[in-house]
Amino acid sequence: MNGYRLLQKDDLGFCNILISALGGDGANMAAKLLFKIGCRDFGLDGGYDARYGSEKKGTATDVSVRFCELGTRVRQSGPTDRPHFLVVFHADLIEPLELYRGVQHGATCIVNTIRPPDEIREALRLASGRIVCIDATKIAHDTHSRINIPHLAVLCQALSFPEEQIKTQIARQWPQAAESNLAAFSGALSCAVTKTFEPDGRFGSTSPMVSRGPIGWRNMLNGGTIDALTHTTVGRDNRIASRGRVPHFNPEACNSCGLCLTVCSDPGGLLWREGRMTGIDTAFCKGCMRCIEICPTTKKGHALTLPAGTGE
Amino acid sequence: MTAVALESERVTRAEQAVFLGNGNEAVARAIIDIGYDAEGYYPITPSSEVGELVSKAAGQGEADIAFIVGTSELAALSICAGAAVAGGRVVDVTSSQGLLLKAEQMPAIAGLGLPLVLNLATREVSAPLNIKNGHSDLYAALGWGWIILLAPTVQACYDLNIIAIRIAETVNLPVIVAYDGFHTSHANRRITVFKSQEDVRRFVGPPPFRAALEGRNGRFSLLDVAHPRTFGPYMNDDLINSKVQIDLKFQRARELLPRIFDEFEALTGRQYGVVETYGESNAERWLVALNTAGEAAKDAVDQLASGGTRVGLVIPTVLRPWPEAEISTALASAQRIVVAERASQYGASNFLANEIGATLQRAGNPAKIIQRTYGIGGLNFTLADALEMYALIMTGDADGPEPARRNGKGAPPPYVSTRLTAAGVIPSFAFAPEKSYHGAWPGDLDYAPAQSLVPLTVEQCTWNAEQDGRVNLKELSKMPTRFDKHTACPGCGIFTTLNLFLRGIDGHVVLLFHTGCGMVVTTGYPLTSFKVPYFHNLFHNGASTATGVVEMVKRFKARGELDDEMTVILVTGDGGDDIGMDQLIGAALRNDPFIVLEYDNKGYMNTGAQLCYSSLKGQVCSNAHLGPQQAGKRTHHKDIIEILRGTFAPYLATASESHALDMIRKARKAQATVRAGGFAFCKALSVCPLHWGLGEHVGPSAVEAAVNACMHPLFEVENGVTKITFDPGRAGKKIPVTQALSKMGRAFSHLAKPEYAALADEIQREVDRRWERLKVMAEHPLL
Repeated sequence: MNGYRLLQKDDLGFCNILISALGGDGANMAAKLLFKIGCRDFGLDGGYDARYGSEKKGTATDVSVRFCELGTRVRQSGPTDRPHFLVVFHADLIEPLELYRGVQHGATCIVNTIRPPDEIREALRLASGRIVCIDATKIAHDTHSRINIPHLAVLCQALSFPEEQIKTQIARQWPQAAESNLAAFSGALSCAVTKTFEPDGRFGSTSPMVSRGPIGWRNMLNGGTIDALTHTTVGRDNRIASRGRVPHFNPEACNSCGLCLTVCSDPGGLLWREGRMTGIDTAFCKGCMRCIEICPTTKKGHALTLPAGTGE
Repeated sequence: MTAVALESERVTRAEQAVFLGNGNEAVARAIIDIGYDAEGYYPITPSSEVGELVSKAAGQGEADIAFIVGTSELAALSICAGAAVAGGRVVDVTSSQGLLLKAEQMPAIAGLGLPLVLNLATREVSAPLNIKNGHSDLYAALGWGWIILLAPTVQACYDLNIIAIRIAETVNLPVIVAYDGFHTSHANRRITVFKSQEDVRRFVGPPPFRAALEGRNGRFSLLDVAHPRTFGPYMNDDLINSKVQIDLKFQRARELLPRIFDEFEALTGRQYGVVETYGESNAERWLVALNTAGEAAKDAVDQLASGGTRVGLVIPTVLRPWPEAEISTALASAQRIVVAERASQYGASNFLANEIGATLQRAGNPAKIIQRTYGIGGLNFTLADALEMYALIMTGDADGPEPARRNGKGAPPPYVSTRLTAAGVIPSFAFAPEKSYHGAWPGDLDYAPAQSLVPLTVEQCTWNAEQDGRVNLKELSKMPTRFDKHTACPGCGIFTTLNLFLRGIDGHVVLLFHTGCGMVVTTGYPLTSFKVPYFHNLFHNGASTATGVVEMVKRFKARGELDDEMTVILVTGDGGDDIGMDQLIGAALRNDPFIVLEYDNKGYMNTGAQLCYSSLKGQVCSNAHLGPQQAGKRTHHKDIIEILRGTFAPYLATASESHALDMIRKARKAQATVRAGGFAFCKALSVCPLHWGLGEHVGPSAVEAAVNACMHPLFEVENGVTKITFDPGRAGKKIPVTQALSKMGRAFSHLAKPEYAALADEIQREVDRRWERLKVMAEHPLL
């Protein structure tokens, strides 16, 4: 398609898009599709890159798409660290992952949240630009789609990609889910809350580089060994993976039969003391709900049930 | 040697088409376009995807290739060697540890004069484990007699694969095509590829089978029974002559490659050279960098040029044969050169720095070389890094400490001083002048975190003694977990299984893990989930490693130097017992006193659900798809207990979370076996919600269904005597396999559909046959 122009570009000629999500969110798929759409439908070039680890479901990932005009040299590798567009699937990760770093002046930030743009602006320390808030979780849930579609919809709109073409591609990519996805797409566009922030001096630039950590070549233990006395994962917070959804526990209905212990995939998430079940550690449990089915019916009902707001 | 028609002048442009994909996809596309006879395969991140795509094409009928999954990387390359000596056109793909495990077969292939292409998505080598980009694997192969081509871009991944098989079959030498792991392998780019496979096949030449059989292309075929020959003899004094031949071939390759590059250019418009140079050809300041780093540095050269500073850049495309003349010519005007390498030759100057230095010395060029090791383990190398490299040699102050890492423009961040303090500067190395590391950091010597773990005591962990067969879950709830939080997918079966099993193990526990999901989600530096001693060695050698450990426990206990009693347990996925099968069998034969706990989730899940030999027939795996030519995995599932039965080890058992009390009893028996000085093995069926395509909460019922269908029978073999510990038939719970498969997720549920009825029936008969046989063995103490 002729005539599509990138409105924001860095010195090398790239419009940088950075998506922060969790494994299992479908961010990679959405980004790859975005890249394909940009190249095939709008005659752009650029690249899709991701920061990889050994991501399992629920671990944080970085995905980026950089667009440029055809003919621009595409030489850099790896995700961008200076986004013009920042997409945040989980607003509570902004602080721990320092997602505010390196965001360009005048950037558009699309955030999955129920909080208003003013609050998100503070969280992102945005010098200037646009904040777009969408409740992607709710939209995805209500339409039986996935969390990536609402984000993709708003991102494409922010990029001024014509709506109909994007919808066609989404339907083509996932034909069985076309109806849900298109409903999520439209839902996102109609529910998005946008606010523009002029450069008011409230925040300055932030550098992309994150601090390296206290262990380095001077003090790393021999061979990279980890001291379990000081460095277990006890302080980790699994709410990132559970999204706060853990089973509901009714102590009155519990007879401490121990069956839940036999199926728990995060042992330690169920709190036991002196042979009695006392509760759920919400920072430990990942909300897999395996324990719900095996929990027997006692005289007072079920001790472990699905939390409120579950569709099933 | 083949009479190759190099008709650059008369070649007409072949039609090209746009292709969007990553490095792996580009390689797979080239493999499919070229038309290989065989691929031996074993997955390893980040190159696994290539084989998956080829196998998918084969399953769809889009590629006619014998795609064989070996039990290890060495097995895979050995399969390739066999296919090549039989005259086949063969390709393999690997990274890192995979290449190192192939190490014995690699020089053998060159020595045997077998043309073969190995794609290498570069990845750093263990230990500690890292799956990201590094060039140590590439460097290990420098002297093995393989031609080495470097692909800095996704485009080059495609193009150089086509060129590689052409040069390989012309000179009868194998070729490595190396591209950056993740940075290229997983980077989607817009490239151009041949529109027609015919054009590719015309360029690479016909498949070599017939010519080999007829002795027309300088190699022979093992399958020539009319004219039999001996391949791979034993040689004494003559050996050196065969090595002269390898270098003669390299000389021929050196002469032919530029002409092949020109012919490729005439066909596609894409020009490759032995080395790529960029920037000012008469520059005094140069950077040499491979692959993505070299590519990224081009932006730095442009930026410096626009500011009036002219520098040069060299990016080798051909690393073997060594481009002596081109390097010499390119660097003729150089006075200061940074050689940046994504690897380090520990204890010495870096590999390429040495080779370039030697080349310059032969040319009488006194230019100074500054060595920098960067990017090991996937740290990205960007325009900003390239600018820092050039900055090292701008002022002539290259002997000073490494300037603080900058971000391209503007002031460095406030928390990093502009010059590192003396305490933070990497000392110079007497064994390697001008060598330092770019991107490393010293750490904080005052860092002293508080103790957060009180080590577990024997008293705390004794809940199974004198219980015999009694299992009281409430009592066992008091057994402390031996591990803390982990980052496995919600609903993963591994830690359910491990926790249950360990509740049946008293006292001190020492855990060893094979590479796999289990260790990846628990030991991401700098934290560990484990509250007990833990060792992860490699993917396949846990059983041997455990033997070493228990031998020392025995030794030092006997000497009175070790008081503590401890139970050593190797935890492995079913994958680790494929690639480590021989070592597992060895340990069982030695009857070494440790437990092996295998979580069988029917696939290589950590690397992306490639098939394991324990996967079910018909199961959909990322390298065994459903398509017109293939219905998932082709062979029935491995039974590791039956394999180990032949070792006559004292205790073998199967278990599952669905029968928790049974598992705990078996754990107790395993510990008792070990305490009595013998080897114990327990295999547990474990769900993988992600790759089985199963809801997170469904695990327990899926496992129970598999047990009830006798797909995972629960039994033990104690000193050779088989005992079934749960008989679904007798308990009135036996169900047909289709019922279980429909509950086990999308990787299996298609088998319950009418179109797969014949396959499901075959699976049912196999499962029944094994179950009936097991029952007979249980009835007879001698079987």
